[in-house]
Amino acid sequence: MKPTTPPLPPASEQVRTEVHLARFKLGQRWEHAILILSMTVLLLTGLPQKYRTATWSHSILSTPERVELVQQIHHIAALLLIAEVFYHLGHAIYMLARRQLPGDMLPTWQDVRDAWQSFKYLLFLSKKKLPFGKYNFEQKFTYWFIFFTVGIMVVSGFILWFPEVWTRFFPGGIIPAAKLAHSTEAIVAVVFIIIWHFYHVHIERLNLSMFTGWLNAHDTRQYHPLEYQRLTGEPTENSETGESQ
Amino acid sequence: MERFECHRNWLAVFFAVVLILLTSFLIIPSVRAGEPAQETEAYCLGCHNNPDLSLELPSGETLSLFISPEILGKSIHSPLGIECEACHTQITTYPHPKLDYQSRRELARAYYQACQKCHSDNYTKTLDSMHAQAANAGNLNAPICTDCHGAHDVQKPDKPRANISATCGQCHTAIFVDYKASIHGGALIQEDNPDVPVCTDCHGVHNIQDPRTSQFRVESPELCAGCHANQELMGKYGLSTDVYNLYNLSWHGVDISIYKANWPTIWHESAVCTDCHGVHNILATDNPASTVNPANLLATCQKCHPQAGPNWTGAWTGHNRISLERTPFVFYTDAFYSIFSPVVLWGSIIYVVLQIIHSLVERVKRSLR
Repeated sequence: MKPTTPPLPPASEQVRTEVHLARFKLGQRWEHAILILSMTVLLLTGLPQKYRTATWSHSILSTPERVELVQQIHHIAALLLIAEVFYHLGHAIYMLARRQLPGDMLPTWQDVRDAWQSFKYLLFLSKKKLPFGKYNFEQKFTYWFIFFTVGIMVVSGFILWFPEVWTRFFPGGIIPAAKLAHSTEAIVAVVFIIIWHFYHVHIERLNLSMFTGWLNAHDTRQYHPLEYQRLTGEPTENSETGESQ
Repeated sequence: MERFECHRNWLAVFFAVVLILLTSFLIIPSVRAGEPAQETEAYCLGCHNNPDLSLELPSGETLSLFISPEILGKSIHSPLGIECEACHTQITTYPHPKLDYQSRRELARAYYQACQKCHSDNYTKTLDSMHAQAANAGNLNAPICTDCHGAHDVQKPDKPRANISATCGQCHTAIFVDYKASIHGGALIQEDNPDVPVCTDCHGVHNIQDPRTSQFRVESPELCAGCHANQELMGKYGLSTDVYNLYNLSWHGVDISIYKANWPTIWHESAVCTDCHGVHNILATDNPASTVNPANLLATCQKCHPQAGPNWTGAWTGHNRISLERTPFVFYTDAFYSIFSPVVLWGSIIYVVLQIIHSLVERVKRSLR
């Protein structure tokens, strides 16, 4: 990936030059958009089903036909999500075969050490701000958490969708287990995304790089110093302290 | 002198007795005149104790007019002083007014109206019953008070309790045969068990409703729970009282409770107790003929889930708490989430809160600089 610098305006003291660095490709941004769409629909159609004894659910699932409609929408959104999963895995395998899969997202022991170091930093036990690469451990944790959540939801969802087929090959006990897993995992994931992901991309700083594809130089230098160094060739203060660790 | 005194005492007693007798003759007839109702039995039986006394009705039926004094004497009414004309109000004289009923049934359907004189609450309830609907629709054989309770031989209906079910069984013969063979009916008839339900415990007594409606269906689990969620009662037989609560949490039970709350008039196939356990023919689970005996369970599930294979029955958790022995998959899933959920959620909450605190402190520090 080459550093991308938009054409500079004529040098002038009044004009502040904002440099943006490429972060996400178009395909990745589309994948994220499809995730948002399908997961939101799955959540909105799943919650009334999970809490269908509650009064608020009765106003949504007000007739038996409505229940069926909501289930159908849930299934269609699930198929969209599954298509996305296939695309994502297929793309990863394709890149792997061409030896082009960037390893940035793979979890490493460094992430565990980073998490511990970050924890100490937040408790004011350490003054070192960590020199993260393209993806810091927070972002990797988000990715892998959602990766496994989607896996659990897809498998348990299919068990609940076709229980008779599955129990031809597996013990019957998987059906109630799938029901428990499907409805518990969904809530854990939603709460996690709201607390963890929304904090990191909306409150800590407004990070829209997943929609625009670009992250400004300031944020890149501050939050991903190693990546900044890799893209621009300029060492940062943080990246140097990071190297010494 | 002494002898004379003695005679005078005897005379006093004699006159006193005569006086009391005379006064009583004056008083008693007046009481009789006020309540003529309670003294007719012996008078009526003067003729009606003749076993050959009968009448031919226009329908060709012979109406026996014989009343056995013995049976009448053992009924609940007669010893209480409620005698013939309490019910036969139109007969006040001899010869009696002419009967203008075409058939025995017509006569019975007219005479039973007398019951409401005293039992108006129960009579009113019957007007709302399934039986009254059948009668209104033209079925004159639909039961009236006397068909179940008897007429001259009226007894307390539950002495013994088995009589109640036997009474219903007079018309509902096939159901009664099933019921007699069931765990409930068997205990009732063989042991006179006071805990098992007789027909009326589930169907109601005088205002019996149609049990084939969707409303009855969605309310039926509650009916079973009336006994099967009663700890004291079930404890006597070593039965679990969790069955109803856990059913209510199960797929079937939640479905049914929603239909009951929102759409009781829409028929819904989600299983209620009787779909799996049977209705009148309910047997103990360990009975090899029971529909929910492990040997027959799959066939029972397949009534609604025709595609289900042999593993299917392992999916059933609706009556048992989560346990390692019975439902290992659910047990481990539950154990996993009871650790995983709090770890993930509290972990992320604590981390984010620390981040917020840290950034606030940094901001304050910077502004102080």
